[in-house]
Amino acid sequence: MTPSLATRLGKLELAYPTLMGSGCYGSGEEFAPFADLSKIGGIVLKSVTRLPRLGNPTPRLVHTPAGMLNAIGLQNPGIEWYLERELHKYKDRPCKIVGSVAGFSIDDYAYVCERLAARDEIEAVELNVSCPNVAREGETFGCDPDLTERVVAAARATTDKPLIVKLSPNVTDITAVARQAERAGADALAVVNTVRGMAIDVESWRPRLGNITGGLSGPAIRPIAVLAVYEVAQAVNIPIVGQGGIENLSDALEFFLAGATAISIGTANFTDPRIPQRIAGELQAYLARRNLGSISEIVGRANVGISTAYQYEGDEG
Amino acid sequence: MALLDLHPRVHATKVIERCELAQGVTLLTLHAPQLASAVRPGQFVMAIPPSGESAATALAVYDISGKHASILFFVTGKRTSELAGLAPGARLDVVGALGNGFDCAGNQRDVAIVAGGVGIASVWLCAKALLARGARVRLFYGARTAELLVEAQRFADVGCELILTTDDGTRGERGFVTDALRRAAPPEAIFACGPSPMLRCVGQIANELEIPAQLSLEETFGCGVGGCWGCVVALTARSDRAPNFPPAQRGGSDVVYARVCKDGPVFLADELRW
Ligand SMILES: Cc1cc2nc3c(=O)[nH]c(=O)nc-3n(C[C@H](O)[C@H](O)[C@H](O)COP(=O)(O)OP(=O)(O)OC[C@H]3O[C@@H](n4cnc5c(N)ncnc54)[C@H](O)[C@@H]3O)c2cc1C
Ligand SMILES: Cc1cc2nc3c(=O)[nH]c(=O)nc-3n(C[C@H](O)[C@H](O)[C@H](O)COP(=O)(O)O)c2cc1C
Ligand code: FES
Repeated sequence: MTPSLATRLGKLELAYPTLMGSGCYGSGEEFAPFADLSKIGGIVLKSVTRLPRLGNPTPRLVHTPAGMLNAIGLQNPGIEWYLERELHKYKDRPCKIVGSVAGFSIDDYAYVCERLAARDEIEAVELNVSCPNVAREGETFGCDPDLTERVVAAARATTDKPLIVKLSPNVTDITAVARQAERAGADALAVVNTVRGMAIDVESWRPRLGNITGGLSGPAIRPIAVLAVYEVAQAVNIPIVGQGGIENLSDALEFFLAGATAISIGTANFTDPRIPQRIAGELQAYLARRNLGSISEIVGRANVGISTAYQYEGDEG
Repeated sequence: MALLDLHPRVHATKVIERCELAQGVTLLTLHAPQLASAVRPGQFVMAIPPSGESAATALAVYDISGKHASILFFVTGKRTSELAGLAPGARLDVVGALGNGFDCAGNQRDVAIVAGGVGIASVWLCAKALLARGARVRLFYGARTAELLVEAQRFADVGCELILTTDDGTRGERGFVTDALRRAAPPEAIFACGPSPMLRCVGQIANELEIPAQLSLEETFGCGVGGCWGCVVALTARSDRAPNFPPAQRGGSDVVYARVCKDGPVFLADELRW
C-alpha cells in the first residue's frame, strides 16, 4: 500500500504536507513553468497589508553562509488592489492557497483578515505577526504574547477560515507566544519566520542591506527552527507547520519528528524549484520503507525520552 | 518516478568543454538542445548548484550553436567557483531561459553595444542579431586590464567595430568605456550590460543624446523567476513595466519597484530611477 502524504491543519486538508513559504513563491504563477503545483500541498501568498507598501530600499538580499538575508519590507499593492486585481489569479491553482496578512495595528490585521477571508480564492489565512523587516511594529506583535493574543482574537472574530499564526524566533520564550495564540483561537502555528541578522561590507564599511538589518533564512537557521518546533509542540495542542532551512528529505523528517504536522519550504526554492516535489516523493518512499501508512505516524516522535548515562547540569558546554 | 520528472523549462545539461579564458574567467559549453533553441539575446538562466549547497546563480546565456549553449563567468565567490570546477561530462541543471532579453527588432542602422567586464556575456547574441539585420555595430568594451578583455577578437571577426578601453591602459584607450562612448559619434541606439555605475553613466549619455538605450541590469537574485521581490530596481512612475501596483498610491512617491529578474533584466534608460 502506498503511504498517504495527506495531512491536515485544523480544517485545512492538504494532499501533500508541503506548503511554500510566504514571500518565497510569489503567487505560484511565477513557479508554474518550473515546478508541478499539483504536487505540492499549498502556497502561502506573499503578505498583504491594508495600504500599499513600496517596500525597502535596495539591496534587499545578501547571500550568506548556508542561507540568505532578506529585507523586502512587505512590498505589496495593499488589500483593495489585491482583492480587485490579484486574487482572481489564484482561483484555479491545483493546490491549496493560503492568504497572508501583515499589519501595524490590531485594527489593520482584523480589517485585512476579514476582507481577505471573505474570498473563495483562498482556503486559509496566515497571520504574519513576525516580519523582521518593517520598522519595529510588525514584529513587536509576535514578540509580545499579550499583543499576539489580541491580534489573533481580533482576526479570529472576522473569519471561520482556518487561521495559521506565524511565530517569530526572535523571542526569549516562543512557547509563551504560542500558547496565547492558541488560546485566542489559532487553528495552527507556523514555526518559524526568519531570524534577525546583519551583514557589513568590509570594503565600504556599509551594511550590505539597504534596510541595514534583515531576516536570515535557509539551512543556517534550521537547528533554531527545529528546536522552536519541538518546544512549541510540547506547549500547544494545535498543529504546527515547521519551517526554516528545509532542503531535503532528512531536513523535512527532522521537523516532523520534532512535532510538525506539515512543513513549509521557502529559500530552498531558490536553489532548485524541484525540491518540494523531490521531498514529497522521497517522503513517500521513506514511509513505505518503514511500513508506515501516513506521516501522522512520525509527527512528534523524536526519541528524546532515553536518558543519558548521567544527569546534565545544563544543556550546553 | 513521476514526482521527479524534469519540468520542460528545467534543463539537464552536460558540460562539453571548459575553457579558462583568463585568470578567473571561465567559459563552459553545455549540451543543452532545448535551451539553445529557446533562448533570446540577453536572457539568462539560473544555474542549479550541483552540490545543492547554495542558491542558484544567475548567468547570461553567452552563446548558442546547434545543440550547445555556453555561459561565461567570473569566479567571484562560492557559487561561481563551484561552477568553474565542473569538468567535461559533468551534469549541470539550469532553469530558463529567463527574463525579457534585448529587443533587437528595431530599425536603427547604427548601434553601439557597451559592455563592462563580464557584461560581455550578455551582448554576444545581441551583437549577432543586430549584425544579421545589417546594422553597423560598434562594440565599446571596457575592462580593468588587457587580459580581462576576453572574446574581443570574436566580436571583431563577425564584423563589429571594436573600441576597447582598460582602466590601467594596458590595451586600448586608458579610462572608462563610457568616456570612449562620450567621445564617439552618437549612435542611433545603445545596448549595454555591465556594472551599475557604468550603466548609470550610459543611461545619462543616452538621455542627453535623446537616443534609446536598453540596459541589462544586475542585482542580487533570490528566486530569479519573479516570486520573491528581492531583486528590484526603482523605476519612475511613468514606466508601465512594474505590474500590479496601484499607480495613484505608491506611498506618496513616484517611485515604483520592478523585479530585475522577471520585469527585466533589460530596462530602458529613461524609465530607470537611479
Ligand atoms: C541577469 C544576470 C545575469 C548575470 N550574468 C552573469 C554572467 O553571464 N557572468 C557572470 O560572471 N556573472 C553574471 N551575473 C552575476 C552573477 O550572478 C553573480 O556574480 C553571482 O552572485 C556570483 O555568485 P558567487 O556565489 O560566485 O559570488 P558571490 O559570493 O555572490 O559574490 C558576487 C559579488 O558580490 C561581491 N561580494 C561577495 N561577498 C561580498 C562581501 N562580503 N562584501 C561585499 N561584496 C561581496 C563579490 O565581490 C562579487 O562581486 C549575472 C547576474 C544577473 C542578475
Ligand atoms: C525573500 C523572502 C521573503 C519573505 N517574505 C515573507 C513574507 O512576506 N511574509 C512572511 O510571513 N514570511 C516571509 N518570509 C519568510 C519565509 O516564509 C520563511 O518563513 C522563512 O524564510 C524560513 O523558511 P526557509 O528557511 O525555508 O526560507 C520571506 C522569506 C524570504 C527568504
Ligand atoms: S529574484 Fe526573486 S523576484 Fe527577482
